[in-house]
Amino acid sequence: MPSPMDIYKLLPKTNCKLCGEQTCMSFAFKLIRKEKKLEDCKPLFSPEFEEQRKKIEEMLKVVEKATETGLVVNEDLCIGCGNCVVVCPVHVYEDPEGAGSGFGVRLDNPILRVENGVVRVVDVGLCRRYKEKTICVACRENCPTSAIAFLEEL
Amino acid sequence: MWVCTGCSCLCDDVEIEGNNVKHACRIGAGIILNRSVARAEPLIEGRKTDMDSAIEKAVEILKDSKGVAIYGLNNSTLEAQRIAIKLAKKLSAYVDNGSKFEKLAEMILNKEIPSTTLENVKDYAYVIFYWGCDVHNSMPRHMSRYTYYPRGKKRQRGYEEDRFLVVVDVRRSHTAMLAKKNAVFIKTDDDRKLVREFVTALEGGIASGDVLRVVKELKKSDFNVIFGGEGLIKGLGNEFEEFVKLVNSVGYFIPADYRTNSMGFFKSIFEAGISKANFEDLLIDETIDTAIIVGDDPLNSMPFEIAKRLVKLKLIVIDPKVSFTSKIADVVIPSAISGVECGGKMLRSDFVEVELKPVFKSEWDDVEILKSILEGL
Repeated sequence: MPSPMDIYKLLPKTNCKLCGEQTCMSFAFKLIRKEKKLEDCKPLFSPEFEEQRKKIEEMLKVVEKATETGLVVNEDLCIGCGNCVVVCPVHVYEDPEGAGSGFGVRLDNPILRVENGVVRVVDVGLCRRYKEKTICVACRENCPTSAIAFLEEL
Repeated sequence: MWVCTGCSCLCDDVEIEGNNVKHACRIGAGIILNRSVARAEPLIEGRKTDMDSAIEKAVEILKDSKGVAIYGLNNSTLEAQRIAIKLAKKLSAYVDNGSKFEKLAEMILNKEIPSTTLENVKDYAYVIFYWGCDVHNSMPRHMSRYTYYPRGKKRQRGYEEDRFLVVVDVRRSHTAMLAKKNAVFIKTDDDRKLVREFVTALEGGIASGDVLRVVKELKKSDFNVIFGGEGLIKGLGNEFEEFVKLVNSVGYFIPADYRTNSMGFFKSIFEAGISKANFEDLLIDETIDTAIIVGDDPLNSMPFEIAKRLVKLKLIVIDPKVSFTSKIADVVIPSAISGVECGGKMLRSDFVEVELKPVFKSEWDDVEILKSILEGL
């Protein structure tokens, strides 16, 4: 994951305040947290900053892919073993007879579900990282192929 | 609900909605999603023909042959395997499925080594060994569906507290990477030595730190299980005396053979009273001149030095898909994908019989093809 400093280095660094932030550094922070969009920085879209803008866009690609909880699934690496679905504490609590007992998850809107052989994020609304802001890494810990990652570790 | 025939787990909780396969791993979903890709056609010496003449030609080849081997049958149902064995008896042919588990399977069927079902493992097992197998890749849902991760009747607190995982392997495989908290990975180059070390430690003798830790955990529960793969069989060099002693003091043993119905094959041949041959040895010794390959691809899976000898044989391939072996075959007879286009029964890796639930229909399947060959003879 890119650090705010990496992004700040490529910004115009004029503190022009056009984006509504006091400094370019705070804009960089909010950009990573998805609270601001790159389009808000108007000077960056002028031709003299084009090269830097492209670099930032490249860096932000990882951020774009992540869900609200920072969960990133790389479907190319997933083999669909379903470890993440079965170990998820929320799945065990909500669906003890299904996912908690090793079967396919029976919830209509689970957090993760194996579809067509790879894991898909269906609804992160239930995730403990989203609701309770707990740092839970059960799904990532039990994925030896590294198909699941969290944004802060990338 | 569909029963997946991707590996010997035979997962029966897979849902199919149009083009969406839910809960199956990549192997299982691939069977459904790529069903119509690379389908085989009836061929005689590379030229297109119809089913009846392909079967007639196969019968003709078999009548002229001096030594026949039937290889494969892992992806066929129990019914098809039984007819194949009848055919083998009639031709006095050799049979082989390419698996190395015959001795252990025979011991389990004769009750010389204690075995149990995967449902019992889920409900009661505490220490789970994976010895010489990388199930995360060969049977992806094995751990999440049946063994380490799910919660069972007596194991309600999940894998972090109520299970202990032991992975024994020559390298740090994906399965070994899962050995984290409450788990241990033992790297070994000498399985026999390690088995001996476990046996002495269980009797109160001296052993290395990891072994002693496992033995301490083993004593906490009376239901522990060892899953052994081909690595274990190779490591032990087919000598199981010490290992049987270990299994008796640990608890139970279940083979971790990924081949879909290989346990069914072993049960069928032992019931029929014939022994398994070794196809590789038959090729090296040149004792056969004809081979019937059912649902397998030896040209792809065998070492090149042995596989190149296949060219000298008359080959009859019965397979739903185009394979490397079917490209060099004299006769290709297209069949149905077991469990998808034809029903029947299969045995899971713990010898539990599972009824297949086909979702499509096919005109020909392994049973009918083998039956018509048998009738033709």
